[in-house]
Amino acid sequence: MRTFARSAVIAVAAVVLAVAAAACGSSSSSSGSATATIPLKAGENPSSEVLYGKKSGGTLTAYSSIDFEHLDPGQTYFALDYIVVPNITQRPLFTYPPNSTTQLVPDLATEIPTIANGGITDGGKTVTVHIQPNVRFSPPVNRAVTSADVAYGIERGANPNVANPYFAGYFGSASPSPLEGAESAKYAGGPIPGIQTPNSTTIVFHMTKPGSTTLINALSLATSSPVPESFAGPLDKHSPTTYGSQYLVATGPYMIQANNTTGQFAGIGYQTGKSLTLVRNPNWSASTYTSAYRPPAYLNQINVKIGGDATVAGLQVLKGSDSVQLDGATHTNVKLAYQSYPAQMTITPGVGTWYAALDNAHGVFTNVNLRKAFWAQLDRAAIVKVTGGPLVGEPMTHFIYPGNAGFLQAGGYPGPQVDYNKDVNGNHTVACKYMKLAGYPSCTYTGSQTVQVVGGTNGDFPAWTQVVNSGLQALGFHTHVSLVDQSVLYAKYCGVPKQEIDVCPNVGWIRDFADPLSILYVPFYGPAIVPTNNSNWGQVNIPQVNSAMEQAALVVDPAARAQAWANVDKLLVDYAVAAPEYFSNQPELMSSDVAGVNDQWNQGSWDFAFTSLKNP
Amino acid sequence: MTAYIIRRVLWGILLLFLVSLLTFLFFYIFPAANPAQLRAGRNASPAIIAYITKELGLNKPVYTQFFDYMKGIVLHFNFGYSYYSGASVIGLIGNRLPATLSLTVGAVLLWLLMGIPVGVISAVRRRSAVDRTAMGTALLFVSMPVYWLGLIVLFLFASDIGKFPILPGASSYVGLTVSPTKWFTSLLLPWFVLAATEAAIYSRLLRGSLIEVMGEDYIRTARAKGLPERRVVWHHGVRSAITPVITVLGLDIGALLGGAVLVETVFDIPGIGRLNYDAILHSDIPIVQGTVLLAAMFIVVANIVVDIAYAYLDPRVRYS
Repeated sequence: MRTFARSAVIAVAAVVLAVAAAACGSSSSSSGSATATIPLKAGENPSSEVLYGKKSGGTLTAYSSIDFEHLDPGQTYFALDYIVVPNITQRPLFTYPPNSTTQLVPDLATEIPTIANGGITDGGKTVTVHIQPNVRFSPPVNRAVTSADVAYGIERGANPNVANPYFAGYFGSASPSPLEGAESAKYAGGPIPGIQTPNSTTIVFHMTKPGSTTLINALSLATSSPVPESFAGPLDKHSPTTYGSQYLVATGPYMIQANNTTGQFAGIGYQTGKSLTLVRNPNWSASTYTSAYRPPAYLNQINVKIGGDATVAGLQVLKGSDSVQLDGATHTNVKLAYQSYPAQMTITPGVGTWYAALDNAHGVFTNVNLRKAFWAQLDRAAIVKVTGGPLVGEPMTHFIYPGNAGFLQAGGYPGPQVDYNKDVNGNHTVACKYMKLAGYPSCTYTGSQTVQVVGGTNGDFPAWTQVVNSGLQALGFHTHVSLVDQSVLYAKYCGVPKQEIDVCPNVGWIRDFADPLSILYVPFYGPAIVPTNNSNWGQVNIPQVNSAMEQAALVVDPAARAQAWANVDKLLVDYAVAAPEYFSNQPELMSSDVAGVNDQWNQGSWDFAFTSLKNP
Repeated sequence: MTAYIIRRVLWGILLLFLVSLLTFLFFYIFPAANPAQLRAGRNASPAIIAYITKELGLNKPVYTQFFDYMKGIVLHFNFGYSYYSGASVIGLIGNRLPATLSLTVGAVLLWLLMGIPVGVISAVRRRSAVDRTAMGTALLFVSMPVYWLGLIVLFLFASDIGKFPILPGASSYVGLTVSPTKWFTSLLLPWFVLAATEAAIYSRLLRGSLIEVMGEDYIRTARAKGLPERRVVWHHGVRSAITPVITVLGLDIGALLGGAVLVETVFDIPGIGRLNYDAILHSDIPIVQGTVLLAAMFIVVANIVVDIAYAYLDPRVRYS
């Protein structure tokens, strides 16, 4: 369940950073992907994702035109932050290898809990995790990590001074499987009865519902990283906490350069809006990992330069040495890289979805046939073109996107074979059929309501909104289009139900972890609708869908769970809850002397723990 | 003169108060979004949003918030704290000010060195080939958006991505105290870009003003007295004609010190402009207020300095 901060990044990814000319060639694939290996496009992703056996040493320069938001694992949620927090400076309980989108592996933990190994008990209501015994915090804490540190890391997420953005969604009141004692909306930090630490290397989670699958997946998020209460506790009393903004300790292979006596990194290894310096964590050891995931940490140092123009930074990377770009590639640079530096660009498919949210609760689109008519009319291929062409996206045909469990079962790339979904170029004949079913025999909307459309001003959003508006007008709708900054779009319009915006054409979603629940639950689960900061933009609240989600959330067997969520996906298509636009891909740039490795689970961003220099 | 200066300073303080009031009301009445919601994140519970709202003082009446804000500035020179990082606004501004000062001072010197001689020569050799060439070039540079010119200059001359790599490009800025040589070379291209457009404006402005002044009776008198033409032009002509240029200069310096967003962005110079730009994107109101107030303060101070300079530059100007 990717929320604002990280869904904002998909905007950056697709709008500011994406895309090449349509002439770059088609990349569409009609076959669905296996869930464990997403279909990298031959010739377009030069990264073979070889993880080991490379040279150690050297300093990598990383350019980012945008700044980090939160470096505290309890607050981190922005995709850029995810490049330096989980696995790099912090060790969550679980993670994914760079070359997989779905294979959950232990990081700080010793194994993935299952029923067979006794990690899942009580019918799925209790999860037991064992952690590696000899992991140590960076200076000045230096001591070994204990299970109590993991417990504190999670509990502090509910502290308003920390305000973890997904605590309630995965561990608390809004979770499909809340922890005992955290299920109340009034819970605001402090020890959670549902988290117990019987010894220094064991942590036990007790839930009020059998939600082990969701919980285990959620423990791959950064907030499951250990935080020493003795060090962070006093800092967490500040509002906001100064842990992560002034002081920090690390458990991963790298740490933000800091004063080793105080742990202060602000002004030393991190200059807001200027730079961030990652150096080796002196207390880190590769021996504290399992064989399933052991980061080689080839690089000695990573210097992140923050600010500047993204196109200029991309050119510096392509023409320079020892460097990568963190915030993706601009249109012009993708085209340039594709034509002149193909070995220096990687394209990771399946990084998220974009769709037009239609207000299911108010106005014209309460009528399901009008929603289907618009779906049929919308030219999804045109949207792919205006956002950069086939290198950066493929027309979306349903809601679970490539690389995720349930994608194939829900129809793969072609999607469900309903008539309003078949033609990605828009089909007025099919649209006309549904207009008639909606009570408009002339195929033209003759009602008196004006359709309110709120799109973004950033990057390609205006042109993209125009495509959506053309689709609406082709059906006879009178529209009123407003364009605002994307952050305002979410915070003031599309994320506020009482605004009753009929169409939000530029909303996107990125999963939080490899479970289709995190793709569908928040955007389409009725009870998840909240008065502000709402991510169910279409206010979809269909009892049949809600019930199907509640049941799917409790399924443990992976294959059955994938099918259950695929069934939810089919229901969403049947109800045409939103108009799909495209599945997005992510282009990334590196210098010719960099052996870059992408985190395919994290939108293809560079993985500093596996990336190396060819000639350090 | 002293009374005049005191009066201008008091007016300046009143103006700054009004600017801070307007800025505050603008962000209070037309907020991009509730700052507490932005800080809490998308999935935050209502309880957390309520807590943060209280912590930020956003639940207080607007006049109380403004009073608290002004009290902090006046009594403690405290411009508040970033909604996101909790960092002191004045600390952040202080951290970014050297880069903006470096950019401004160098650019101003460069554009005056380019603009004034060109304007004088064009005025003195009116309608000559030199005049037409100079004014045509000036028109060309005036027409170039700074952001675009910055990119072109980088693509042509930056040592890392340029066709003719001769000078450090984007992301090369270092502080004066770190390395004076690198500081100087890293700022040459940004100085040139800023100066090119401004010098063009100044030369055209000075040319027009000087042509008008050179037709005045006292210029004819000066010539009739047998003064050398160079002295007539520079001592009697330019000294008088430069008054409108100085007026614009005051405004430009103030505005630049408030942040040259575009140039700082293109060349990745961590100055006030970038700080303000990032804060606007995040609706980090305390930083926006602080930088706006700072820009206003620079403009007010620069204008007072300009007004005082009038008295020395133009003998006709006297303050009572």
